[in-house]
Amino acid sequence: MLMPMEYVILGLGFILGFHMAWNIGANDVANSMASAVGAKAITQRQAIFIAGILVIVGAIFIGGHVTETIRGGIISPEVLDDPQIALMGAFSALMAASLWVSFATWKSLPVSTTHSVVGAMIGFGIVTGGFGVINWEVMGAVVGSWVISPVFSMTIGFIMFKIIVRFVLTQNDSFSAALKLSPLFIGVAIFVVVMSFLFKTPLGTAMAVGDITAMLVAGVIGIAGGFGGRNLLARLFARRGEQKEPELIFRTIQVGTSCYVALALGANDVANAIGPLALIYFLTRTGAVGAELPVPFYLLLFGGAGISVGIAMGGARVIRTVGSRITHLTNTRGYSVDFAAATTVLMASKLGLPVSTTHAAVGGVMGVGLARGVEAVNFAIVFKIMIYWILTVPAAALTSMILFKTIEFFV
Amino acid sequence: MRIPFFSMFTRSPFDELQEHAEKVKECAWAFQQAIECYASSRCEVFEEHRQQVITLEHAADDIKRSIRGHMPKNVLLPVEKFQLFRYLREQDSVLDAVQESLNWLSYRPHNNIPEALERDLFLLVDAVVEPTEELSRMVGEARSYLRSFSEKQREKVKAIIANIRQMEHEADQREHALLRKIFEVENDPVTVLHMVRLAEIIGSVADHAENAGDMMRAMIAR
Repeated sequence: MLMPMEYVILGLGFILGFHMAWNIGANDVANSMASAVGAKAITQRQAIFIAGILVIVGAIFIGGHVTETIRGGIISPEVLDDPQIALMGAFSALMAASLWVSFATWKSLPVSTTHSVVGAMIGFGIVTGGFGVINWEVMGAVVGSWVISPVFSMTIGFIMFKIIVRFVLTQNDSFSAALKLSPLFIGVAIFVVVMSFLFKTPLGTAMAVGDITAMLVAGVIGIAGGFGGRNLLARLFARRGEQKEPELIFRTIQVGTSCYVALALGANDVANAIGPLALIYFLTRTGAVGAELPVPFYLLLFGGAGISVGIAMGGARVIRTVGSRITHLTNTRGYSVDFAAATTVLMASKLGLPVSTTHAAVGGVMGVGLARGVEAVNFAIVFKIMIYWILTVPAAALTSMILFKTIEFFV
Repeated sequence: MRIPFFSMFTRSPFDELQEHAEKVKECAWAFQQAIECYASSRCEVFEEHRQQVITLEHAADDIKRSIRGHMPKNVLLPVEKFQLFRYLREQDSVLDAVQESLNWLSYRPHNNIPEALERDLFLLVDAVVEPTEELSRMVGEARSYLRSFSEKQREKVKAIIANIRQMEHEADQREHALLRKIFEVENDPVTVLHMVRLAEIIGSVADHAENAGDMMRAMIAR
């Protein structure tokens, strides 16, 4: 039997969770879709459509791991003996994260939703159970991933663009070279996507696919998809017979990588919206933290749908602005950035690490910039991001603690 | 700033670099007209042409300052930042030399060019205007190369640079021819001084264009 108070908290939790999801949709999606829109691979409407659907797919099928981390990985659940306190704490954390994201949007600060949520959860842990409650091992991995993910994305972006320059653009017949290598560019992305659907996921378990089988299946589908994609491209361009530039091939491939990015975004960012909500949900439904129970499907769907609504309502304007600003990102560059960011985020999601998709995208641009691919990249932004990164976590933690104490005072 | 991703893309200096090169081209044309006017017996508009060159030079100067001023420390370009600045300096020196030659001319009253020297002077002027005109095309093609990384495109830029070098060489020949001619036909020391210095300044226009080409060659090196 639910107490009326718990109903209220659960209801408010859903509202705040939706608010977080909406914000992710309205703001962060621009990072992932803008390069494709700016490079004219897809229209703004197509971007909204692709992102709206694939974010939900990514959230439902791949989003569970990261949500688990936020819900029960950072704070050791067994320490939270008192469900009442745990409930207040989870609620404070969700509200603190929500406040921070609103503040960031209002003041136009480069604050990551991921960092806000993780910071708020830490605050919640400290105020309810002291520093000992924080699972420092997981926390270390999370913070480590924040440093590693942009660097990793940068490295992939750099290597990918260098490969394109070396083996495609500088070739005499660069169009044919692009077509010849397209199975690689398409296949690798498909491989990572299939892997993330099958490797250590409920879906993979349900289909009785082991880890090695998953890899094999992903490999086969990747190769088949890569060559299938090349044949499609070959037929498409044979019919069109327009000016044969390698950029055009990448423009078509970028439609696919946009889907890849949207999927990765859903997989990683849904946890920011529903991680604390999942905790509230379990506390009100079962009276315990329930670390063993997986995050229910409909919560992931709720988060994914929230992001989608955010994309549909607020994302359009942002993507339009961003897309018009980054016109000198050609399709080869856009592909490299998208590929780097999505691969990084999907891999982090598989490891259950809540990374910032924005930072991965920024890392990808830096990689292509270092490979001399962009006319002018401002690296100063990276230092600003770092400052806000260092500020957001304690600030969100502190907000969460203050909210907790306030709620405790009134209850 | 809420979306750091797009704050990373700042204004490209290549837009303004090209604009600057266009100003150089316009300046070269005004310069050509000014000299022709100066040499003719009934020139009324030399001063107008000279003012036009000065105005263009000021506009180009603003562009140059804007490029340098809007290049934050942490901006990464497809080329070395200092190579770009050195290129810009050479391209700007072309303008300075053009302006200086007209200033030098203006110190003496009009129509003071000995008729025997006119033809050689005009040949020299034409010879230095040619490489100057090539600069804006070179910048455009180089930019296209940095975008496409296509070897064919790189060859195209290299061909323009080689062409500019050849033109500078020809301008040098004209300058020598003019200098020789000056000492052959002129005995008035003031006219000799005026003409020799003029030939040198005009010759230096092509030198700077060639230097700009060399800088560009370094910028597109693989």
